[in-house]
Amino acid sequence: MAQPLLKKDDDRDDEMEYSPFLGIEKGAVLQEARVFNDPQLDPRRCSQVITKLLYLLNQGETFTKIEATEVFFAVTKLFQSKDVGLRRMVYLMIKELSPSADEVIIVTSSLMKDMNSRTDMYRANAIRVLCRITDGTLLTQIERYLKQAIVDKNPVVASASLVSGIHLLQTNPEIVKRWSNEVQEAVQSRAALVQFHALGLLHQIRQNDRLAVSKLVTSLTRGTVRSPLAQCLLIRYTSQVIRESGMNNQTGERPFYDYLEGCLRHKAEMVIFEAARAITELSGVTSRELNPAITVLQLFLSSSKPVLRFAAVRTLNKVAMTHATAVTNCNIDMESLISDQNRSIATLAITTLLKTGNESSVDRLMKQITNFMSDIADEFKIVVVDAIRSLCLKFPLKYRSLMNFLSNILREEGGFDYKKAIVDSIVILIRDIPDAKESGLLHLCEFIEDCEFTYLSTQILHFLGNEGPKTSDPSKYIRYIYNRVILENATVRAAAVSTLAKFGATVDSLKPRIFILLKRCLFDNDDEVRDRATLYLNTLGGDGSVVETDSAMKEFLFGSFDIPLANMETSLKNYIQEPSEEPFDIDSVPKEVKSQPLAEKKAPGKKPTGLGAPPSAPTSAADAYEKLLLSIPEFASFGKLFKSSAPVELTEAETEYAVNVVKHIFDNHVVFQYNCTNTIPEQLLENVVVVVDASEAEEFSEIASKPLRSLSYDSPGQTFVAFGKPEGVPAVGKFSNMLRFIVKEVDPSTGEAEEDGVEDEYQLEDLEVVAADYILKVGVSNFKNAWESMGPDCERVDEYGLGPRESLTEAVNAVISLLGMQPCEGTEVVASNSRSHTCLLSGVYIGNVKVLVRLSFGIDGQKEFAMKLAVRSEDESVSDAIHEIVASG
Amino acid sequence: MLLAVLVANSEGNILVERFNGVPAEERLHWRSFLVKLGADNLKGVKNEELLVASHKSVYIVYTVLGDVSIFVVGKDEYDELALSEAIFVITSAVKDVCGKVPTERLFLDKYGKICLCLDEIVWKGLLENTDKDRIKRLVRLKPPTEF
Repeated sequence: MAQPLLKKDDDRDDEMEYSPFLGIEKGAVLQEARVFNDPQLDPRRCSQVITKLLYLLNQGETFTKIEATEVFFAVTKLFQSKDVGLRRMVYLMIKELSPSADEVIIVTSSLMKDMNSRTDMYRANAIRVLCRITDGTLLTQIERYLKQAIVDKNPVVASASLVSGIHLLQTNPEIVKRWSNEVQEAVQSRAALVQFHALGLLHQIRQNDRLAVSKLVTSLTRGTVRSPLAQCLLIRYTSQVIRESGMNNQTGERPFYDYLEGCLRHKAEMVIFEAARAITELSGVTSRELNPAITVLQLFLSSSKPVLRFAAVRTLNKVAMTHATAVTNCNIDMESLISDQNRSIATLAITTLLKTGNESSVDRLMKQITNFMSDIADEFKIVVVDAIRSLCLKFPLKYRSLMNFLSNILREEGGFDYKKAIVDSIVILIRDIPDAKESGLLHLCEFIEDCEFTYLSTQILHFLGNEGPKTSDPSKYIRYIYNRVILENATVRAAAVSTLAKFGATVDSLKPRIFILLKRCLFDNDDEVRDRATLYLNTLGGDGSVVETDSAMKEFLFGSFDIPLANMETSLKNYIQEPSEEPFDIDSVPKEVKSQPLAEKKAPGKKPTGLGAPPSAPTSAADAYEKLLLSIPEFASFGKLFKSSAPVELTEAETEYAVNVVKHIFDNHVVFQYNCTNTIPEQLLENVVVVVDASEAEEFSEIASKPLRSLSYDSPGQTFVAFGKPEGVPAVGKFSNMLRFIVKEVDPSTGEAEEDGVEDEYQLEDLEVVAADYILKVGVSNFKNAWESMGPDCERVDEYGLGPRESLTEAVNAVISLLGMQPCEGTEVVASNSRSHTCLLSGVYIGNVKVLVRLSFGIDGQKEFAMKLAVRSEDESVSDAIHEIVASG
Repeated sequence: MLLAVLVANSEGNILVERFNGVPAEERLHWRSFLVKLGADNLKGVKNEELLVASHKSVYIVYTVLGDVSIFVVGKDEYDELALSEAIFVITSAVKDVCGKVPTERLFLDKYGKICLCLDEIVWKGLLENTDKDRIKRLVRLKPPTEF
């Protein structure tokens, strides 16, 4: 990092001799900080000491609690000084020290005084410090001043309170949300930065209200936005609105597209760029929409500023994944970027070109890349190798030059990850392009002659054993394999022995010679190598003691190991723990992949029980749910789980994403647990959330949402949304659900996901919380006894007309499912041809109140059904509630 | 979020290190990563010429100014363009405080003022002020001229 271009100062040598912080030591500086306590403050001296403290903190030095407290108390004394420079330092120092809640009180009065000071700049700084150190209670005291400050004439004061608002929104959202009128006013400010900060805050306040965001965007895109930074924010919010609103069905036009397109002609580069990027990211973007954006990005490619070149090529790289042809026009500009000094830019240019290039340009491109590869870091090289693999699969006829390229770079210096990427690519090409097999295998053979990575050598030997015998001349590989037995470490030697055996088993003509080689391995100094050689000699030698038939031998050598390693490990551990005379039987190892029960997955420190150990007592689904919910901090305070419903399917069978939901009922809350399964192997979903619209469930208010970080193919995961509801009230309502996530493409051959994903949504079925969700099915063994012991005190009886019904059974089942109670003594079954029926139900109502119900059904002459409902419970309001459920159902 | 602002001298020693929203255990990793990035790429680079890199979803824009190298790291809305805006403000403010392109000594001499400028520019990971003249006034507790 020396500066050869810098003009050397004459006095520079002298300067280097002394640094103001040379030999600085924390203890000494803390001693010096005592000057803050002097009755006659020396502002200059105090500022110097604060600078030293800042230097220490900025070097990563930490103060102990006592040290920090001492310094903090001393610093607060400096409020007595009227020196402006020192005051500014004091503000910064307090923020850096971030005093604890019990200490804050010492400065609040001084800061409150400054916050009402007539000096604007005292106000701005005091706001920033207070908001940094404040907690919720103090915030309510100063809220009035903060609201005023938002619309302060001085832009610095306004910005200070707006940026404070952005920070405070994380900790005290309910308070900051009350400021929206003032923030709205600040959005119209003439000061550019105030507008920028206000827009950011306003959007954060309203981000969950789609309609409000849409209105905000509509009004601002028509008006004037002064700051380019604010304009960039607006473009981002606009894309969000576009994403959520979709196409205009009547005109086929995309709302706000004209605005985005207009921004491409803005004078600030960052705005042009933001608009171009927004256009390229529109879902289902057409080439007509894309073209103007590509044109401006193309111009940026030849910008003199590296940041702009980087930004442009990064965006084009992304576009090339989905719209390769749209980017082809930029190929010439991108080719010149291959020699860009900035390696990130060059790598992005190359990988984009590899995506957009056509068959005829491959050779030329490879030539350019070869020169480039020697001077970039491994991480960039891996990206290039991956791109070349994709290119080769796209243009299989070009395998020769691409395979040559890969083999050349395989011979050069490089770390493990890089070499692994190349080997993996060659293996994939051999598998997918039959013509490439022989040359690819030979490249790999040459590589293991001089390979320093045991893992790669064994991987290649294994692959060679499977593929080599099927080639036209298998014998040519033997030399490379046997060299490993002579030259390598034990792990590689053992792998080589297995590979030799595979050749021997498949190619009869080679068998005698393989025998000789394997016999030599019997004298190896490693147990595993000798054991394998012995085993294979017996297998191939065929006295029938190991395998009986030729096909059994091949199955033994080539068959895949179909037992999950985790199961194998557990079984072996159990076997060792309980020594027995019996030899270990591999057939006793279960083959199914056991996914851990959810409750255990979440509970820290709890290991799955061993397979040989006695199974633990089966826990009910309710217990598992309760454990699961308790382990999530956001829900831990909800108290005891009352009821969890059976899973309700929100998607049809055989859709891309399968989602069902379990409703968990608490006294004051309802938690929806969405169980999601991704059924597409080529996709990885990230940040999976369910956006719930509760507009038809007025008594519920969303309070928390726990997203699912990632959802890979066929391994179910959960995301949760929690709602608050009035205590003990059986609130009902309808919720519409939208699955939202970032989808990343997964390369099925490697199982690796791409880095960049696209946000997407998936509409789910609606979900209802019904009265039955608030009643637990709890049976009683003797209904008559229970009924009589409950007594008639809280009994409520009424009669209901059910209207015409298909059958008595249907009427009975409808009422049972409406109430969600447990039928007792088999009374849910209606005798055939009967014209009346009595059904007994029991349950526990939310709040842990026992309820018993006696239903008497009857039919009149016109097939009109009637029902007498008698309810007894421990609480008459609950008896009434049951009647209400039936009356409204 | 503007995750980090880091200033190092030509030997890779840290002069200023301010992290926002980066867990303490990851800071050391970031520090060595950035210093290495500078050592690998900043040789021979002209003053204030911006270099850019990205690592997963995090962007880094860095440059050299006299004896010191400056790095800013951001993610999400603080992409390479926003970061170049931020680093431009930082370099102009540093030059302004030092009166010229700084030597390491000069930088350390003006250390307190530079800390104040950084405090005005980045506040807990958000870009707050972008105009060097305004910042110059703010660190002396003077209201901005346009007001």
